[in-house]
Amino acid sequence: MSDAALTCTDLTVCPGGNAVLRGLSFDVPAGSRTVLVGPSGAGKTTLLRAIAGLEPLEGGAIRLGERDLSRVKPHQRRIAVVFQEPRLLPHLDVQDNIALPLRAAGTGKGERRARARERLEEVGLGGFHERDVAGLSGGEQQRVALARALCAAPDLLLLDEPLAALDPNRREELRRLIVRLQEERSLTTLVVTHDRAEAAELGHRVALMLEGRIVQHDEPRALFERPVSAAVARFFGVANLIADGSGTLAIRPEHVQLDPDAELRAVVTEAVYTGSHVRLVLQAGPQRIEALVSPADAPAAGQEVGVHLPAEHLWRLPGGDGTKVR
Amino acid sequence: MASAVTLGRLGRGARRGPGGPFGRRGRLSATALGGAALAALFAFPLLALVVRAFANAWRAPALLPQEYGTRGLKVAFSGRALEAFGNSLAVGVGVTLAALVIGWPAARVLGERRLRRPGLVFLCLAMPLLVPSYATGTGLTEWFLRLNLADTLPGLGLAHLVVVLPYCVVVLLSGFGPRVAELEEMGRTMGLGPLARFRLVTLPAVGPTLAAAAFLGFLVSWSEYGSSLAVGGGRPMLPVVLLPFVRNDPQVAAALALLFLAPAIAALVVTTRAARSPL
Repeated sequence: MSDAALTCTDLTVCPGGNAVLRGLSFDVPAGSRTVLVGPSGAGKTTLLRAIAGLEPLEGGAIRLGERDLSRVKPHQRRIAVVFQEPRLLPHLDVQDNIALPLRAAGTGKGERRARARERLEEVGLGGFHERDVAGLSGGEQQRVALARALCAAPDLLLLDEPLAALDPNRREELRRLIVRLQEERSLTTLVVTHDRAEAAELGHRVALMLEGRIVQHDEPRALFERPVSAAVARFFGVANLIADGSGTLAIRPEHVQLDPDAELRAVVTEAVYTGSHVRLVLQAGPQRIEALVSPADAPAAGQEVGVHLPAEHLWRLPGGDGTKVR
Repeated sequence: MASAVTLGRLGRGARRGPGGPFGRRGRLSATALGGAALAALFAFPLLALVVRAFANAWRAPALLPQEYGTRGLKVAFSGRALEAFGNSLAVGVGVTLAALVIGWPAARVLGERRLRRPGLVFLCLAMPLLVPSYATGTGLTEWFLRLNLADTLPGLGLAHLVVVLPYCVVVLLSGFGPRVAELEEMGRTMGLGPLARFRLVTLPAVGPTLAAAAFLGFLVSWSEYGSSLAVGGGRPMLPVVLLPFVRNDPQVAAALALLFLAPAIAALVVTTRAARSPL
C-alpha cells in the first residue's frame, strides 16, 4: 500500500551533455496510474531515468511522498523500474531473479523464495520458479521482471515501454495484468509509452511530452477530444484541422459522417481497408478531410459524397495555432 | 494463466519432436567422432612426451624405446625443479590476481567504449609486447638491483606483470559492454548497494570472461622465459630450469615438461568450470 505522490519540480537533465529536459515540472498523484506518452526522442525515458536516479539532475527537485529524493542514491529511493528489456540475471533461476530485491534487504533464503513464488503466482507463472530464465518467452520474461519489481515493494513503480517488445495478444494480457496488480496495491505508477492507444487504456491520467516539455496533462479523453494545441491534436490522431476564421477547428476522423444530403461536397481520393474500418481521404475544394467509416457503407475512390461535420464533435483549438491544412 | 503453462510445455515438446531420438543420436555420434579426432590430435604429441620421459634408452630408427626407467624423473627432481615449480606457481597466481585487479578498470573503460581514442591506450598497453621480454627484463634488472628487487619473487612478479597485464586487459574488456551496464542499472533500481551489486550482478555477468582472462594470464606467466631469466638470477623459474635439458638430456626435459603441463591443465579445468557456473 503506497500513498506516496511523486512531485517533480523544475527538472533540468542533460544526459551526455544535451539539455533534454529544461525546467520540467510534473507530478503523479498517490496511488494513480499516470502515463507519459510522446514520440521517440521526446525525453520520456530521460525523465523516467532521472526519477529513478539513473540520470543526474542539473537542477530541480524530486519528491516522493514526504521524502526529497534529489540527493538519495538510486538503490535507496524505493523506486522499482521495469525496463523495456526484462534484464534478468542469466545465472539465476526464475525465483532467485524475483527475490533479488529481498537479497539486498538481507532476507533469509527460505523466506525469500516463498515470497518470490507468491509474486510468481500473481503474474500467472505459478510453477515456473525453478525454470532457467533463458528458456522463457519474451512475454514470460517481462512478467518475471514485473514480479521482481513488485517483490521490492516499492513506493513508486516505473514502467518503461513494458509492452513494446511483445506481440499484440501478449501485450493485451500483460496490460490487463499491470492494471490489476496496480489496482490491488494502489501503487503509484508511472508508465512510459509512445503508443497513444496504450496510453488511453493504461492511464488514469495521461501526460503528453513533446520535445522535452509536458504539453498537456489530463484524463485520457481530454487529450483525444479536447487537445490544447494542433501538435497535441496531431499526436492523438485528430487528422482534421480546419481553418475557421482566425481559429482552427479539430475533428477526429471517426466523427466525420457521410450524408448524401449534406451541403459540403467532397471527392473520395483514397479508400483504404484497415481491418475494422475504411479510412477515406476526402477532398472538399482546398480542404483535405480524413474519415473513418464502416466497410459496409464505404464509397469507392473517385466517388462524390456529402460530408457532415457534427457540431458536438467540432473542437475549437484554444491556441488557434493550427497550421492550415491543404 | 494455466493455459500459458501448458502451451509452454507443449512448445518445448514439439521442438524436440521432429528431430526425434534417431536424429539426435545421429548428430551426437558425429559430434563424438569429431571430438575424439580432435582429442587425438592434441594427445598425440603429449603421448610422445610421456614415452620420452620414461625412456632410458631410445635410439633413432626404433619406433619404441629400447629401455624404460625413471632416470629422467630422478635427475629432474634431484635439481632445483621443485623449487622452480613453487616459484613459478607463486608468481603465476600472484601476477594473475594482480593483473585482473589492476586491469579491471582499464578493461571496463575500453569495453564500454567510453574513450574517444582507444587506439592510443591500446598502443600503450601493447607496448611491452612489442619488445622481447628478455630486453624489458634486462632493463628492469638494472632498476631492480638498485631497489633490492632482483632475485626476489616480488621482482619476478613485477617483471611478469609487464607481460601479463596487456593480455588480461585485452581478454577482459570483451566481458564488458552495454549488457553488463544495463544489468547493473537494474540492480540499482532493485535496491542493491555497490557491494551487493558487484557480488550479485557484475561479477557473475563478467565471470566467464574473467575466468578466460585469468587462464591466459596464468599461462603467459607460467611459460615466461625471457624476463624470468633476466630478473630471476639465483631464483629459478620452471622454464629457465627446463630449457638447458632440451638439448643436453631430452629424457629429463620430457619429465620436466610433464611437470610443466600439470598446473596448466589444472588451470584449464578450474577456469572452464568457473566459466560454466560462475560463482
